[in-house]
Amino acid sequence: MKRKVRWIAIGLFSLITGLTRAQENLIPEDSIGFRDFLILQNEIPGVSYRFQIKEKLISDRLLTDSLYLFSKTDSGFLSKLFSDFGQIRQIEMSLLNDSLQYKLHYLVFSEVSSVAATREYLSNRIQSGDLLVQFEDVAPSDDLVSLASYVPYLPMQRFKLRFISDYKLFIVTGVISFFLIIATSMIVAMIFMKAKINKVEKLRKDYDRLIIDPLTSLLFEKEKEEIELMKFDDIYQYFPEEMLAKPLYKDVLIDRIIGLNKKMKGDFKEKLKAIFKKLSLDKISLISLSSSEWDKVAMGLVQINEMDLVEALPKVKVHANSSNFHIRSQAVATLLNLSEKVDLTFLRDQTFPLSLWQQMNYLRIIRFVRHQKDLKLQILFDSKNPSIRIFGYKLVSVLGRVDLIEHLAARSGEVSDEEKIEILEVYSTLGAHMEVGFINDCLKSENAELSMAAAKAAGSIGDSVSADILVGLIAVETDFRRKHGFLKSLYDLDRDRFELATSTNPETETIEIRKHILDPMLQHV
Amino acid sequence: MYSFLFFLILEILGLIFLILSFSVILIYLILMILSALEMRDYLRKNRFADYGDIITSPIAPGVSILAPAYNEGQNIVQNAQSLLSLHYGKFEVILINDGSKDDTLEKLIHFFELEKTNYAYNPEIETKPVRGVYRSKNMSFRRLTVIDKENGGKADALNTGINIAELEILACIDVDCILSSDSISRMVRPFMEETNRKVIAVGGVIGIANNCDVQDGTVTTYRIPESLLGRFQVIEYFRAFLMGRMAWSRINGLMLISGAFGFFRKDLVRKVGGYFPKTVGEDMELIVRMRRYMEEQKIPHKVGFVPDPLCWTEVPESEEILSKQRNRWMRGTIETLQLHQVLRLNPKYGILGMISYPFWSIFEKSAPILESVGVLYTLVLLVTGDFSAVYFFALLVMMYLLSLLVSSFSVLYEQIAFNNYKDKKDLRKLIWMIIIEPFVIHPKIVLWGLQGHFDFIKGKGGWGSMIRTGFKKAEDKKNLTPQSTS
Repeated sequence: MKRKVRWIAIGLFSLITGLTRAQENLIPEDSIGFRDFLILQNEIPGVSYRFQIKEKLISDRLLTDSLYLFSKTDSGFLSKLFSDFGQIRQIEMSLLNDSLQYKLHYLVFSEVSSVAATREYLSNRIQSGDLLVQFEDVAPSDDLVSLASYVPYLPMQRFKLRFISDYKLFIVTGVISFFLIIATSMIVAMIFMKAKINKVEKLRKDYDRLIIDPLTSLLFEKEKEEIELMKFDDIYQYFPEEMLAKPLYKDVLIDRIIGLNKKMKGDFKEKLKAIFKKLSLDKISLISLSSSEWDKVAMGLVQINEMDLVEALPKVKVHANSSNFHIRSQAVATLLNLSEKVDLTFLRDQTFPLSLWQQMNYLRIIRFVRHQKDLKLQILFDSKNPSIRIFGYKLVSVLGRVDLIEHLAARSGEVSDEEKIEILEVYSTLGAHMEVGFINDCLKSENAELSMAAAKAAGSIGDSVSADILVGLIAVETDFRRKHGFLKSLYDLDRDRFELATSTNPETETIEIRKHILDPMLQHV
Repeated sequence: MYSFLFFLILEILGLIFLILSFSVILIYLILMILSALEMRDYLRKNRFADYGDIITSPIAPGVSILAPAYNEGQNIVQNAQSLLSLHYGKFEVILINDGSKDDTLEKLIHFFELEKTNYAYNPEIETKPVRGVYRSKNMSFRRLTVIDKENGGKADALNTGINIAELEILACIDVDCILSSDSISRMVRPFMEETNRKVIAVGGVIGIANNCDVQDGTVTTYRIPESLLGRFQVIEYFRAFLMGRMAWSRINGLMLISGAFGFFRKDLVRKVGGYFPKTVGEDMELIVRMRRYMEEQKIPHKVGFVPDPLCWTEVPESEEILSKQRNRWMRGTIETLQLHQVLRLNPKYGILGMISYPFWSIFEKSAPILESVGVLYTLVLLVTGDFSAVYFFALLVMMYLLSLLVSSFSVLYEQIAFNNYKDKKDLRKLIWMIIIEPFVIHPKIVLWGLQGHFDFIKGKGGWGSMIRTGFKKAEDKKNLTPQSTS
C-alpha cells in the first residue's frame, strides 16, 4: 500500500510540474521578452511599475515633470507608479534622451517584485483564469505567397540518419559495439583456451599411457650400459619415431622420467638419467635455458637439477643472479646440488635479497650435500648482502657448525642489531658458553628486540653476570611482555635468583608472571 | 525557474548515469584482464613451489590459528580436531570461547582433557575480561590453547587470541570453516617469498561447501547448492575471489581479505592495535588500517592473495539470514570507509587512496543507492515524457551483457584454473543462474544494501561519532578508550 501511495505521489508531482511548465511557457523568461509581453497586456490588475534614477542630481525640468512626479530617496529618485504597460516606451523616452541611468521596477500589489516573482504571479493569474493573455497580431501586411517567395525552400522532413545527427546515440552505440566486441572476444578466447587445455590434458593422459609401459620395460629389462649403447632403431621400438617428433609427447616423457626419478633410488635413477640423455631430452632442457619466457627457463633448470646434467652448469651459473625470483632460485639450487666443489661465492655475490622461501630451499639442499661436499660457509659472512650473511649464520646453527663460532665471534661486535640477534640464536642453539660476554653486552642494549634475544640466550648459556643484569632489567622494566621474557630467562638461568626476585615481590604483575612461569601446564608453550 | 532547475537536474543525472555505466564496463573489463594475468602468473609460479619442505623447515614461520567460537557446542570438538590435524610443523591452535551460553567450553574441557592454567594474561589490546586459559595435560593436544572470556563479539575474541598468540603469523579463521590439510603451507608461502616488500597479510579463497562431499577436512566432490540463493553465491564467490581479488592483488590494491580465512603478520597487527570491535566490518577495517599504517610509515608492503581452494564454508541459503549478512557487509563497508576517509583520493596513500578507496566508495558502498536513483530517474523520465527508449534499452542491454560477461568469465576462470565443478548438469545450472541473476537476485541484493545504508544512518551497531569522524592516524585505534559493547 505504502508503495502505491509513493508512486501516486511521484505521478502527481510530475503531472503538476508538467502543467505549470505549460502555463509558464506563455510568459517569456528573459527580461526583454517579459517587458514586451507586459507591453502587450496594457493594464494588469495588481501589477504596476515605476522608474528609479540612481544619479544624485537630475535636471529641474525632469524633477518637476508631472508625468513622473519624481521624489528623492536615499537610493536615488523614484517616479510615481504606472499601471499601463502599453505606455512604457513613451514614458521612458525622456529618460533615454537625457542619457540617465535608470532602472525599471515591477510592483505586485505596490510591493517591489523581481522579474521572476512577477512572472510567477502572472502565471498563477493565467492558470486560475483571472488573466486573459493578449498576443501580438502577427498577421502579415503582404499576402502569404509573396512572403514565401523570400524564404529559400527547405524540405519539412530532413531525411538525414538520426543515428549520425544524434551524437549521444552515436557514442552509446560505439561504446556498446566496442564492449560487445571485447566481451565476445574474451569469452571466445576463454572457451578456446578451455577447449585447448582439455585437449592437451586428454593428449597428455593418452601419451602418458603410451609411455609408462615401454619406460617400465626399459627400466626392468635393460642395464644402464645397455641403454647407453642402444641404437635409435632399438629406441624407436619402445618410443615410436613419429611420437618422438611431437613436442607434447616429449614433454610428457620428461615429466614422467623426472617424476619417477624423484621416487626411485639407486640403479633405477641412473637408468632414468641414461634414458633421458639417450632420447636427447637433455637438449630440450638446455635449449629452454635460452628462452625468453621465465617459466621455461626455470623449468629447464629444474630438469637439469633433477637429471644431474652437470655439463650444463656453466649455463646455469649465468642465471644465478637473474632478476627473476624463480630463475634465480632454481639456478642457485641447481648449482648447490650439482657443483662438485660447492664454492658458495656465487651465493655470496648475489645482489638480490634472499627470501625465506629461497633460504628454506637452499637449506634443504645444503643439508643434503653437506656430508659429500666441503662447504665453506664462512664465505657467506663476507657477503655485502645482509640477507645472505644472516642466512650464513642460520646455516651455522642448523648444520651445527661449532667450528665456525670463532668466525662469528670475530665479527659479532661490528654487525647490525639484526645480525646480532641471529648470532645470539646461533650461540644459544650451539651452547656457545664462551661467548657469554657478547650476550651480556647485548642484554644491556637499548634495542628492545636485541636485549630480548640476548635474554633468551642468557637463559640457556648465561652466567652470574647475566643474572645480575637480568635482575636489574626486571626491576626497571614496565612493559609486561618484556618483563615476562626477562623473568623467564632468569628462571631458566638461576632458579634461586628467580625465587629471590619474585617470591617476596608485592607487585601483582610479578606475582602473575611468577605463577605463569611456575605452572607446569604452561611449560610446553 | 523551478522547472528549469528540475530539467537541469534530470540532464545532469542522465549524464552521471551514462558516465557511471561506461565506467563500470571499463573497470570490469580491466579487472578481468588483470585477474587473468595474475591467475596465469600464479599457476606458472605454482609449478615451482615445493610445499613439502615448509612442514619441517626450521626457517618456516610459526602460525597461531585463532578461532573464535560462540555457541558452537554441537561441532566444536570435531572442528578443533580438524584444526589440530593440519599438516604444518610449527603451529598452535587458540580457540576463544566468546562467552558461549551452551556447552562449548565443557565439551572442549572434557574431550581434550583441559585444565585451567595460571596464564598471566596481558591485555596489550583492550578486550573483555578473560575468565581462564586452558591447556591439556595430554601431550597429543599440546598445540591447543582454549581461552574462556566474557562475550564481546568476534573482533574482541580475536583480539584476545592476538594477545596470547606466540608465533609470527596469525591465521584468523571461522571455527566452522573446513580447511584443507595443506592450507597453512600454501597461505604462508607469500609471507616467505617476497623480498623487496613486506607481506603484511594474505587472503584466501572461500569455497562453498553446501551440498558438497567432505572427507578428512577436504571437499572431495563438488556439487552446486540446491537453492537459487546458494547457486547465486557460488557465482558471486567466483566473481569476488577469482576475479576481483586476483585483479586487486595484481596492482597491490586489496582492501579486504575474508574474515573467515585470513593470515596476518602478528607484530604489525599488535602495532596497529588489533581488530576494531565496534565496527561490523572488522576484517576489512583491519586490512585498511594495516595498509594505512605501512603507507604512513613509508614501508613498502603487499597484501597477498592465494587463489587455491583451501577453505570451505556453508553459506546461508535462506533469504532472512542472507539479507542480514548483506546488511552487515554494507554497514561494515560504510563504517570502514568512514573511519579512513583521510585516504579518499589522497596521493600520499598511493593505490590505496587513489584507486581502491574511490572504487569501494562508488562501486561497492554507493552501488545500491545509485541503482535505486537510476530506477527512480527512469520513472520520472517516463512521467515527464522525456524518456528515450533507445538510450534506455541500449544501456539496459549493455549492463545485462556486462553482467553475463563477468559471471561467465569467472565461471570459465574456475574451470580453467581449478575445474572443481565437473558435472555438466552443475555447469548448466550455473549458466542458467548467470542468465536470471540480474532479474531474480540482484534487486534483492540492492534492497539489502539499501537497508544497510538506512541502518547505518540510524546508528545500528557502529560506534556513532567515532565512525563518522574517522581515525586521524592508523595507530589511533590503540588510543581509544574502551567502551562497552552494545
